[in-house]
Amino acid sequence: MSGEEEENAAELKIGDEFLKAKCLMNCEVALILEHKYEQLQQMSDDAANHVSQVFEKSQQYVKRFSRYKNPDAVRQVREILSRYQLAEFELCVLGNLCPETVEEAIAMVPSIKTKGRAHDDEAIEKMLNDLSLIKKFE
Amino acid sequence: MFFHIVLERNMQLHPRHFGRNLRENLVSKLMKDVEGTCSGRHGFVVAITGIENVGKGLIRDGTGFVTFPVKYQCVVFRPFKGEILEAVVTMVNKMGFFAEAGPVQIFVSNHLIPDDMEFQSGDMPNYTTSDGSVKIQKDSEVRLKIIGTRVDATEIFCIGTIKDDFLGVINDPAAA
Repeated sequence: MSGEEEENAAELKIGDEFLKAKCLMNCEVALILEHKYEQLQQMSDDAANHVSQVFEKSQQYVKRFSRYKNPDAVRQVREILSRYQLAEFELCVLGNLCPETVEEAIAMVPSIKTKGRAHDDEAIEKMLNDLSLIKKFE
Repeated sequence: MFFHIVLERNMQLHPRHFGRNLRENLVSKLMKDVEGTCSGRHGFVVAITGIENVGKGLIRDGTGFVTFPVKYQCVVFRPFKGEILEAVVTMVNKMGFFAEAGPVQIFVSNHLIPDDMEFQSGDMPNYTTSDGSVKIQKDSEVRLKIIGTRVDATEIFCIGTIKDDFLGVINDPAAA
């Protein structure tokens, strides 16, 4: 348990296992769950009865908080953000919350400003601009 | 945050399931056993998305059951301390409010709600700023920061705050 006590997402301390794992943005989870739900529906008529409460709640949640609905846009968001040497976790927080200003982005993901990393305000601003463009043209 | 991770589990299978459908039986049992569960370490298992591999089975002494190590990919939801996320308010009372982010419940105490927001009782209890411009009530969407998690065997429970920059209500159902 000692490892978990120092857990702090703001400093990107989320444990090795999760740091290396693939993070998913809400919009990506929405696509995955949608697909899975369709598969279940094909197998049986009352798919709704077969899914767990956790599944149902997650699906409602990601539907409500997906910033991008269109699968192409979702792919673009990941592609653009991955150009900026972000950790998976940081990438997904930015993709989920879509901050509008540099200040807000740093408040949401304090770890992008930690020393030794090449993110100045200009780079962050450019990244946010790219993100808002996708939203605009979706 | 949602993650896509690979987990491993030893599945015990009764001999009556052996035969050409063995793998299917194993997978459907795995889904039934694992989906919807929660562990402190990996969080909530939302959905299994694929099977990586099924190892060699081992016959248990005495019972005839066979144990298969199964590696599977799944989507999990795991909240972290320090993480900022969006949530839907489910209940408001004078102690604070409860919100839900997917499968996880988050409590925000009134000490962690900005001081200029006052509790208003009534049939739609809410927290409102003195000028009435911002209101938190059931079904509001809020952005909050998780400051603590409590993990027990089958549940993760979080404490959150909205008393920080860029946190608070994102949309107000009454205003929409």
